[in-house]
Amino acid sequence: MDKQRLGETLRPYLMIAPAMAGIFLFVLYPVVFLGYLSLYDYNLMNKAKSKFIGFDNFAEIFSREDFYKSLSNTVFYTAGVVILTLLLSLLLAVWLGKKSKFNVFVQAGIFTPHVVSIVSIALVWLWMMEPNLGFLNYVLKAFGLPTSEWLQSSKSALMSVILVSVWQGIGYYVLILVAALQSISPSIYEAAALDNASKLRTFWKITLPMISPQLFFILVIMTIGSFKVFDTVKVMTGGGPNNATNTLVYYIYENRTTNIGYASATGVVLMAIIALLTFVYFRLLSRKVHYQ
Amino acid sequence: MASIAFKRVSKAFDKHEVIKDLDLTIEDGKFTVLVGPSGCGKTTLLRMIAGLDPQTSGSVLIGGKDVSRIAPGKRGVAMVFQNYAIYPTMSVRENIEFGLVNNKVRKAEREELVEGISKAVGLYEYLERKPSTLSGGQRQRVALARAMVKKPSVFLMDEPLSNLDAKLRVQMRIELIELHKKLGATFVYVTHDQVEAMSMADTIVLMNKGVIQQEAPPDEMYRRPSNRFTAQFIGTPPMNVGELGESGSLFGFRPESAVLSEAQGDEPFSVRGVIATREMLGSETIYQVRSGSGNYMVKCSEDLFAAGQEVYVGVPAAKLHFFGEDERRIDEKESSYGKCMEALRGRSHG
Ligand SMILES: Nc1ncnc2c1ncn2[C@@H]1O[C@H](COP(=O)(O)OP(=O)(O)O)[C@@H](O)[C@H]1O
Ligand SMILES: [Mg+2]
Repeated sequence: MDKQRLGETLRPYLMIAPAMAGIFLFVLYPVVFLGYLSLYDYNLMNKAKSKFIGFDNFAEIFSREDFYKSLSNTVFYTAGVVILTLLLSLLLAVWLGKKSKFNVFVQAGIFTPHVVSIVSIALVWLWMMEPNLGFLNYVLKAFGLPTSEWLQSSKSALMSVILVSVWQGIGYYVLILVAALQSISPSIYEAAALDNASKLRTFWKITLPMISPQLFFILVIMTIGSFKVFDTVKVMTGGGPNNATNTLVYYIYENRTTNIGYASATGVVLMAIIALLTFVYFRLLSRKVHYQ
Repeated sequence: MASIAFKRVSKAFDKHEVIKDLDLTIEDGKFTVLVGPSGCGKTTLLRMIAGLDPQTSGSVLIGGKDVSRIAPGKRGVAMVFQNYAIYPTMSVRENIEFGLVNNKVRKAEREELVEGISKAVGLYEYLERKPSTLSGGQRQRVALARAMVKKPSVFLMDEPLSNLDAKLRVQMRIELIELHKKLGATFVYVTHDQVEAMSMADTIVLMNKGVIQQEAPPDEMYRRPSNRFTAQFIGTPPMNVGELGESGSLFGFRPESAVLSEAQGDEPFSVRGVIATREMLGSETIYQVRSGSGNYMVKCSEDLFAAGQEVYVGVPAAKLHFFGEDERRIDEKESSYGKCMEALRGRSHG
């Protein structure tokens, strides 16, 4: 009798054991190891020379100018990408929300960049953004508009990287929002029309709240993703010019060989920032999100 | 003040014509029920009044004014949708208030109106709740309150009770009738249920395939159906209709008009048959009688016969209806009425 009950208690744990093993091995262990490394002055060549130094790595992080530079770059990048993507994808989704052959075609077009590797995209944009021979300046010149130095100037480099990231990601989010818009019952809009609601008011009071779960999802996912941006920076600018596009993950990457303990500590800080941001989002916004 | 008129109105969905050259006047302050089988165009008609799906041609008048170019929100109509179409993201209060805010009603007045209405429909305690936490009946009341609070001169309702359980439906029917009396507005109520139509309407408009079959008060609709379709649509079980012979005319009688007896009487319609089925419903019993000339449903208040028994079905002259070859009613005053009666009598007693 008791044996049977023990079996019943254990069974669910047995069932999830394989998945839990995976999580321990590939999620928890690396995180714990990251934390462990961050407390050491770690020597990759000779493990014996590694030294436990407590929170010295963290103290160093917060006293170094280049950390703050990459942090502010990352924040600026994230804000730019998130705000632009949300606004543009919402605009496009509202435009594409009405079902028609043409719209399906446009939607497929917008989605295509998402299928292509960001590395290829970054390379193509790298050429297009070349100040003297590139396509973008050629077009600007053709229309008599002022040209830009794009990636070559520390003033416009970060903005250029933001542009590419938005261009690449937007199709996916448009797709999510179009699906959300199309799932709203048309009779709700008819009721609003009978309630004498203007177009703008209908959008604010009905459309936006109805798609708020999707908008919130995009906000959280994009913030986390943008904070961890790496590939675009690596391919397009290598953090330059003059650290103008150096972001946190790229900063970690730069320090990986010279000082792995310091890099790990930065990784821990990055994790903490993302966790804090997500927590703040949920605290501030989840009440405004309407789940069916 | 707010009668509704359709003038040669047609409506097509991508070339598929649903309603063609329809003329109809709905009287001011009356409870008018649009009834007909599913897909006959009732909803289409209602949505044309609301302006949600404007007509393809012809004109719709509300209160004598052509509203073809007026937006739905400015026609002075309110509508209760079949699925209620409550705004799911808003609280009950916001739902009811939304139209008032859009119409720039001042806050103090708004609050008074919302509270008054919500008390009237029994939603006062639920004002701050989200619709997803309400029962079906309560959501229905939200939809009603939202329509009422705007004090419209025309109330449109599209099968508003069809999602409720049977008991609640009967209760809501009575409440709607009372509501109509209290408000005195023009009610246009759509249903496919003829019992609902009979119990609520001042005037029934019966439609089939986009064409109005008859427009009359319930008792007239029941006693003097203007064609075969009306005769068989209204009433349960439907009217018995049979062929009268070579002329192609038809005769008909309601199940409760027939008398069952063991011996043949001298009614103009009298046939011998066998009771095939018997349904005992409590206050009445419904028999299906199988005879040489067809099956007849007979409704009796007394339960005197058993299945398998041989009986005579008799119908007195006053309770017989006749329809011509074109299925239109043949009136008592028409000359062919007498001929039909003779033909029937000849067949029964020949
Ligand atoms: N938006 C639409 N597009 C195409 N056909 C429609 C549309 N709405 C209704 N119809 C057609 O019009 C006819 C009448 O529909 P409706 O008015 O909804 O009938 P009901 O009497 O059941 O309310 C049906 O044949 C239906 O298929
Ligand atoms: Mg309908």
